Amino acid sequence: MLLALHHITKRYGSRLILKDISCTISKGETVLLSGANGAGKSTLLRIMAGLSQPTEGHLETELLPENIGYLGHDTFLYPALSALDNLVFWAKLYHKPHTEAALRPLLARVELERSLHERAGVFSRGMMQRLNLARLLLLEPSLLLLDEPFTGLDSHSSSLLRAEITTAVQQGAGIVWISHDITNDCSMADRLLTLERHRLVFDGSAKAATLPPPIASHPLGSLPS
Amino acid sequence: MMRSSLTIALKDLRLAFAGSGGLAQAFLLGLLLIFVFSLSQDVGQRMDAQEAAAIFWLASVFCQVLIFSMLYGLEESHKARLGLLLMPAPIQAVWLGKMLAGLCLLLLAQLLFLPALIVFLGQNIYDSWPLALLALLLTDIGIVALGSLLGALAQGQAARESLLSILLFPLLIPLLLAGIHLGTACFLPEAPENIQSWLGMAASFDALFLAAGIFLFSFIYTGDD
Repeated sequence: MLLALHHITKRYGSRLILKDISCTISKGETVLLSGANGAGKSTLLRIMAGLSQPTEGHLETELLPENIGYLGHDTFLYPALSALDNLVFWAKLYHKPHTEAALRPLLARVELERSLHERAGVFSRGMMQRLNLARLLLLEPSLLLLDEPFTGLDSHSSSLLRAEITTAVQQGAGIVWISHDITNDCSMADRLLTLERHRLVFDGSAKAATLPPPIASHPLGSLPS
Repeated sequence: MMRSSLTIALKDLRLAFAGSGGLAQAFLLGLLLIFVFSLSQDVGQRMDAQEAAAIFWLASVFCQVLIFSMLYGLEESHKARLGLLLMPAPIQAVWLGKMLAGLCLLLLAQLLFLPALIVFLGQNIYDSWPLALLALLLTDIGIVALGSLLGALAQGQAARESLLSILLFPLLIPLLLAGIHLGTACFLPEAPENIQSWLGMAASFDALFLAAGIFLFSFIYTGDD
């Protein structure tokens, strides 16, 4: 088990965001987190990352902060620094090798090797997100928390990200992934968590969740014999 | 923790010097204050030492408000704050890193303010350079320790400069009083007798503000927006 949430409730003032959420994330498991806008998915992910404290309940994990990789809407990059200098900064903070020789292969992996010395501020959204992905890969996290990682990405950057997610799973990392595109993304997931009105209403196999509904519950009723 | 703080401080200094005028604005504001006050007296007239010291510290504190607003603003454009919160070091490393960067920038600003004080306000630092340096460091440490803490509190707010000033000035009054008296002593041919008590007062407030930073920073600098 990588992480367990026990009866998590989160409020901002009097506004309820999450109510009594309990679930576990295991090693090598890909979990898709779905729900309508405002259901509390991003807040739940932030609580898993330790970025936000629950109002009630607690989080159980043996992971250290450096073992958790968080990829959100924001890229955590400094626009005035070059792609390489951004990585050097994060590598130093996370006590990873931070020489150009050590970081160049990582930038090559996300196809940014040629933009090594360019300022991140001039990058497109896709390039920024790829550089952010390089930052994440640098940490070699055991748990990846991805908040709508494909938003604003072109098809090439999306395929690159999908490939890296697959590699991370093969290497045994756990993944929690917020997605609005359940139809496409369920094929990559083992489990599906669905939030509705601040509560966890579904926690089960992603494969089962994509099966067509039983005929008896079909809106047109049962088929004629 | 020290290594992480130094990494953050060096990154901040690099970004401050590469930035688009934030630092120049802070320095110019201080210089402008000294120049405006110099207009209150006749040409060639020497301003009272205590008044000159008060103007020097006023310029320093206004400059410092802009410095910390800029330093914490560096993380806001792409929410790099969340990345810092996940680093494998106590979160106080951010407070200390910003404080060190702020101290370097404030000392640099004061290096510009001192000649301005000599030229525009007719002051002289006689043989009291060691005392001037000690007074400067003791007062500056307290100012930047509190500035770094309150800068974090004001970050993300639309009116962060005004909020920072409103919070900072009342709390800094005792330390500024000590700084003004120590500054006065530096501008006089002979140091007054009670100088040790003002040095003691500055050191006490340094300790208080440093302790406040260490204990309170983790409650202020969080992942919750």
